Amino acid sequence: MAPPVNLSFFVDLFAIYAIMLVVTLSLNLEFGYAGVPNFGKVLAVAGGAYVVGYLPGRLAVALLNVGSGMEYTAQSWKIVNEANGILANDPALSLALFGLTLLVAALVGAALGYFASYPAIRLREDYLAMTLLAMGEGIRIVGENYTPLVGGQLPVAVPDPLRWVGDRYLAVTIVLAVFAVLTLAYLELLLRSPLGRTLRAMRDSEDAAKALGKDVVKLRMKVLVVGSAIGAVGGALHAFYLVSVYSSAYERVTWTFWPWAMVVLGGAANNLGVALGVLALVGLRKVITISKWALAPHLPFDPVWLDPLLTGVLVILMLLFRPAGLIPEKPTKTIKMERPLKAAS
Amino acid sequence: MLDPVVVRDAVIFSSLLALLSAGLTLTYMTTKVPNFAHGSYATVGIYVVFAITQLLDVSPYLGVPAAAAAGALASLSMYLLVIRPLMRRGSSIVALMISTLAFDLILIALLNIFADVLAEEFKLHSRGFALRSLDFRAFGHPGLFLVAPITLIVVVTALHLLLTKTKFGVAMRAAIENPGLASVVGINVDLVYAVSWLLAGALAGLAGALMSLWCYVGDTQVGSNELPSVFAASILGGLSSVYGAVAGGLIMGVAEVLGTAALAHVLGTWVAPYRPLIPLAVMSVMLLIAPQGIAGLWPSAPVVRRRGSAR
Repeated sequence: MAPPVNLSFFVDLFAIYAIMLVVTLSLNLEFGYAGVPNFGKVLAVAGGAYVVGYLPGRLAVALLNVGSGMEYTAQSWKIVNEANGILANDPALSLALFGLTLLVAALVGAALGYFASYPAIRLREDYLAMTLLAMGEGIRIVGENYTPLVGGQLPVAVPDPLRWVGDRYLAVTIVLAVFAVLTLAYLELLLRSPLGRTLRAMRDSEDAAKALGKDVVKLRMKVLVVGSAIGAVGGALHAFYLVSVYSSAYERVTWTFWPWAMVVLGGAANNLGVALGVLALVGLRKVITISKWALAPHLPFDPVWLDPLLTGVLVILMLLFRPAGLIPEKPTKTIKMERPLKAAS
Repeated sequence: MLDPVVVRDAVIFSSLLALLSAGLTLTYMTTKVPNFAHGSYATVGIYVVFAITQLLDVSPYLGVPAAAAAGALASLSMYLLVIRPLMRRGSSIVALMISTLAFDLILIALLNIFADVLAEEFKLHSRGFALRSLDFRAFGHPGLFLVAPITLIVVVTALHLLLTKTKFGVAMRAAIENPGLASVVGINVDLVYAVSWLLAGALAGLAGALMSLWCYVGDTQVGSNELPSVFAASILGGLSSVYGAVAGGLIMGVAEVLGTAALAHVLGTWVAPYRPLIPLAVMSVMLLIAPQGIAGLWPSAPVVRRRGSAR
């Protein structure tokens, strides 16, 4: 049986690439630029996705007069079906719903980043890493068990804000591409700004940065807040892309480990490297998924396990033999010498 | 509220958590890296016991040595293949942490492959199994109620004797306290590190073997699911002494089980699945008020105390 490779395959590949790129770029900001090891990236991503699982549906019920008297999570598919019928004819409302939800997702992500990092932000990196990892597990526990949030053990439907476009493949591709490009542009500009240089100074020599008067703890907190906001937008985009939210899908292998693997592979602190790393690993996963068809009969186990096995090995090999990544970070550009020289003379 | 079942669960869970926390703290004290793969060493132990009981039809307790050995092997291979080479290349602590995450992924993949093979070739129900019924019963309770705390006492005593009464143990403490100076006086610091990883893996494999008799749903995620509890217990203990780790594990385990029971009593049984949030809360509070943990609180510890963790 031939693997399915057609337009929907490529659209899906691009969508996953764009979403992963947004999330991984946010990790690059936190770790690559500022040296903050965010091992709890999944916290922000899940937060954003859970906002999408909760908010648009409830707003639809409140504003569009659908699903009255129904308990949302139990009947979400029915309710969303009705809502989509209305949204398909109302582009303004759809876009407003989309934009508002993303904004709330970003704010929720920022808040999660702040509160999760607060206990350990002054402590050494390993304590921060352990705390953030544990917090990432915590949000999933809440999502899986608090059914009114995103359905608990069952997935919940999400109203589709792009239905009015007609061609969903086109709409999804354009929207995700726009967000990926915006994130990349924002972070590139940040990298080249004085703040970007400060963050890298803090990363490379904290004591020197402190000696020059930089409030290292505050910077780290800010970076985690912004990084979590962007990560939450990534999670929200993922939920809108799938038009459903399944609480257990936001787990630490896909949404913490994969971004780290992509940063390690591509090269920390440079966005081109990260873009390449994401491409390489998303592509690798797709290749493994496709070759499952060919491999499955020959192996006594499910070939899906080759995916984490090979990724783990690849990351360790990269760390051992090419720790700077495929594209190493370029040296920091400072201001030209003429200005201070002119000022001095 | 002090239901015998709850007390029993608290005793068993806290003993196992203390074993896991001791191992994690041991590798942290020697190589300064929190090992995110530690939980999966326990899962290795669980699967070894599962395979032995199902294939050889013997008591699960006979599988304990093999489980400890398997855990030790997993841990030692991670040290030799990943941690030591990275340390020799001067990798940052973050790189080491990522490598432990990556190794965890590899371990879980291998465990899943093992489970698949067991299911395919031997027709075993290798996911979602429960071995509780294979335990012996004593005084109307599962044997684990006695075995777990006794094992913990034996292990802690053995560790204490090792670290204080044997030449190698004293060398270990020296290497932990000051590796540079220890190697100058001729201690093989690399051997000390290797042995500490071996021991930590063995402790985790042992804990996993016992855990297989206690968990309701045995699958490849059981060990790594406990990781937040193990971290919380270790942070509570202070990450600087094995005895602190044991104390942290006991306190954390009791807090988790009794805390959930108390909350369920007051608020209703719906709180039960939120039990993993308790270690998160304890960890956050500890880090805010006393990041050095228990070991940092008492003035002299028989094992080495490192300088405080706050910057």
